[in-house]
Amino acid sequence: MTAQAKAFPFPTTEKTLPNGLRVFVVEYDSPGLVAYYSVVRTGSRNEVEPGKSGFAHFFEHMMFRGTQQYPTSKYNAEIKAMGADSNAFTSDDMTVYHILAGTSALPTIVTIEADRFQHLEYAEAEFQKEARAVLGEYNKGASDPLQPMVEALCDHAFQVHTYKHTTIGFLRDIEDMPSQFAYSRQFFDRYYRPDNVILLVVGDVKPGTVLPLVEKTYGAWTAGPSRPSVPVEPPQTHEQRTTVPWKGASLPMLLAGYHIPAFSPTAVDSAALEVLAELVFAERSPLYKRLVLDEQKVEHIDGSAERHVDPNLFTILARIKKDGDVPYVEKVVEDEIARVAAQGTDAKTLSEVVARTRYAFAGHLSTADKVALVGAEFLALTGNLSSIDETFATLAQVSVADIKRVAAQYFTPQNRTVVVLEPEK
Amino acid sequence: MLLSIAVAASASQARADQNGIRTVLLPSPSSPLVTIRLVFQVGAADDEPGKEGIAALTAAMLGEGGTAKRTWSEVLDALYPMAADINFYGDKDAFVFMGTVHHDNLDAFANLLAEQILTPRFSDDDFTRLRQDALDAITKTLRGNDDEDLGKQALGTLLYPNHPYGYPTLGTVAGLSAITLDDVKGFYAHTFTRDRLIVGVSGGYPKGFPDRYAARFANLPVGKPRSPLPPSPAPQGKQLLFVQKSAHGDAISMGHAIGVTRSDDDFYPLAVAASYLGEHRTFNGVLMLNMRQKRGLNYGDYAYVENFIQDGWTTFPLPNISRREQHFEVWLRPVPPKSAGFAIREAIYETDKLIREGIPAAGFEATRAFLLNYVNLWAQDGSRRLGYAIDGLLYGKDVLAELKARLPTMTKDDVDRAVRKHLSTANLSIAVVGDKVKALADALVAGKPTPIVYDTKDTPADVLEEDQTIERYPLDVSASRLKIVSASSLFEK
Repeated sequence: MTAQAKAFPFPTTEKTLPNGLRVFVVEYDSPGLVAYYSVVRTGSRNEVEPGKSGFAHFFEHMMFRGTQQYPTSKYNAEIKAMGADSNAFTSDDMTVYHILAGTSALPTIVTIEADRFQHLEYAEAEFQKEARAVLGEYNKGASDPLQPMVEALCDHAFQVHTYKHTTIGFLRDIEDMPSQFAYSRQFFDRYYRPDNVILLVVGDVKPGTVLPLVEKTYGAWTAGPSRPSVPVEPPQTHEQRTTVPWKGASLPMLLAGYHIPAFSPTAVDSAALEVLAELVFAERSPLYKRLVLDEQKVEHIDGSAERHVDPNLFTILARIKKDGDVPYVEKVVEDEIARVAAQGTDAKTLSEVVARTRYAFAGHLSTADKVALVGAEFLALTGNLSSIDETFATLAQVSVADIKRVAAQYFTPQNRTVVVLEPEK
Repeated sequence: MLLSIAVAASASQARADQNGIRTVLLPSPSSPLVTIRLVFQVGAADDEPGKEGIAALTAAMLGEGGTAKRTWSEVLDALYPMAADINFYGDKDAFVFMGTVHHDNLDAFANLLAEQILTPRFSDDDFTRLRQDALDAITKTLRGNDDEDLGKQALGTLLYPNHPYGYPTLGTVAGLSAITLDDVKGFYAHTFTRDRLIVGVSGGYPKGFPDRYAARFANLPVGKPRSPLPPSPAPQGKQLLFVQKSAHGDAISMGHAIGVTRSDDDFYPLAVAASYLGEHRTFNGVLMLNMRQKRGLNYGDYAYVENFIQDGWTTFPLPNISRREQHFEVWLRPVPPKSAGFAIREAIYETDKLIREGIPAAGFEATRAFLLNYVNLWAQDGSRRLGYAIDGLLYGKDVLAELKARLPTMTKDDVDRAVRKHLSTANLSIAVVGDKVKALADALVAGKPTPIVYDTKDTPADVLEEDQTIERYPLDVSASRLKIVSASSLFEK
């Protein structure tokens, strides 16, 4: 594999319908299979009204509650008949609906998806039952201490931006969801519109087959009301720090977040922060080897600069073997980032990080479904698939000076939020 | 002697000469990726009494420890530029060591993986780290960070008392604490033997590579025949285990051992029955429709006729965790404590209905049609296809090929007969993880009604009427078959 090879090498056709709906068809060698992704460029980031945290995710559930033409039972029967793997997920920045099935099912898939995105209809009783399935999802995650830790991290790191709440939402808002029927209709009206949705079809398909089906079924979909803007988070001025008590057994944990800019495929800082995460936290890094292998004080440590539409956090998570070692681990991590800020790294290590990232990405694109998942993320964030190649082109340009600069610029005490899990003694 | 068997994903498997190393090949010349899976028929069932966890710890020493030539730190350095990782996982009867790599890096990766397996370093540092990780995983993470897994592992203790399947594959606290590094070296020498190894290779590998590679393992010794499993305990009616811990909801797993695996003809109609009740992470099962969709009880409800571990973030089962014995299982994701008794009864009510009335004709046809297509999704990439092909060799039947071949001619009567023969709720074991569980336990043992508590309106009349039946559904569990324990006491020994 050469550095010049495209990171996303598959034949891609793009078309925009007159109503603003954009469609991407990616031809991929997956005999007889097609992955059909509907990417809504709305996530928990868009939950701007008070008391409505978790609503994008809740609404994802409601999208399986049927239309006049395809009530839930009929929709489910269609999915079952095609033997599809069908589900959806929501994150801070997107809601993604995905169906993986045999290519012969494509006309049915387009029909039922076009129908529910335009004509969703459900009764309040069904709405309320689904609200309790969402509470069940919250309860499912609640035995994992990361759930309250991430809640605390977001709540402390953000003051006005909607990243203040997690995607599943505050428990108090989830418990109140059954009373939000009217708001749910407004949410659908506002966000499930052709100019806010992108279709991505990957697999054993041709654009000449897919596009006429889409034009026929989605063509009458119309634009909706204007959408509210998301508040801008002011710069953090001092360190935020909190503890999360934990009843029952757990290793103590440290979760830290440093404010970083929004993702951009052409911004050197975005790429440099991804490289920094690998340099400092990968299993072969000096920090990992010191804390996990040599000193054996830490069971697991990682760091990541997740891509987001708006400025978010570089997060660091460590599961620590003994309570008393939490401050020590925090200090060692801080010192290591400061060392990289001062000394950088050598050119060979940097080139290995870039090469590994490229190979790992190529290796990941091993099924139509995985290609679609990667494509969906980039579409939600940037609106186009060419941003994948742009991202890797930027990555290849990251210099040692860039690494030193981002390590010094963003990893300051006043820019961080620290959450410590304290298991009961 | 080496014997290679080239198979297509749907081809039936052949068994190699018992003196040779079995290899399974799935060539895909146009693929830039190659996967290697080294499957050893070694698992927790091979643990020595008092040393519970030694199989998993030995596997960890191979998969995450150094080699004679390199420390684990140096192995990580070598792997990094290949963009590859050595992964390993295992269960009661098998462990797999595997990785997928770009063909540019195949030789270097394959050499490193062989080094891990053939010349483990067995250093004190690795041993201390990995044993502590296993102990923390049981005493901290399993007991305190994952109620759903805790429920499943608690169910395992009920299904298989005094049996090597009856504790987490990682081991027990007492077992792990008793293991020495010399124990691990001894265990490696007599169980990681070439007669227990299958070398699997898939993808765009060069001609001759698999034979050359498998030959590297020819120096592994030949072991003694594997001990048979002890008999499963005779069923003695329902039993309940309540695991007390701080929790938002009650996580519930229930099931019973069945004398059927993929090797048996009856497995396949049972797989249809389980899919009808609730295929993993799909929305169409009877349990999911009635418990989540109609009643809003929880996030998901599923059924299985073999041990199921989800492969990463996919919907599909992990390959290469074959077992010699299997069990029927119903998994209810956490339910509100106030409705937990109802949820337990509803799962039993739905299962009983299937056993008593048989699968409805329309449900049978829909499930059969579903599975005929759905199985095509279980092995989308070379790594998973290879995993299934290896399992096919171990069971003597490739589950994907068997389902495709059997489903078109399977009948509703086949399913009903297999269900009546192998499934029963009379001997269900039920594990519940939750807070303040004593009142629920007392109510169930006393046979008191456990109504669902709705905080939503307009539940349809037919559902409310059925609720009346379910809340009183007979459980028939005696006080002597009820145990309440704290999470902190589980898996001690």
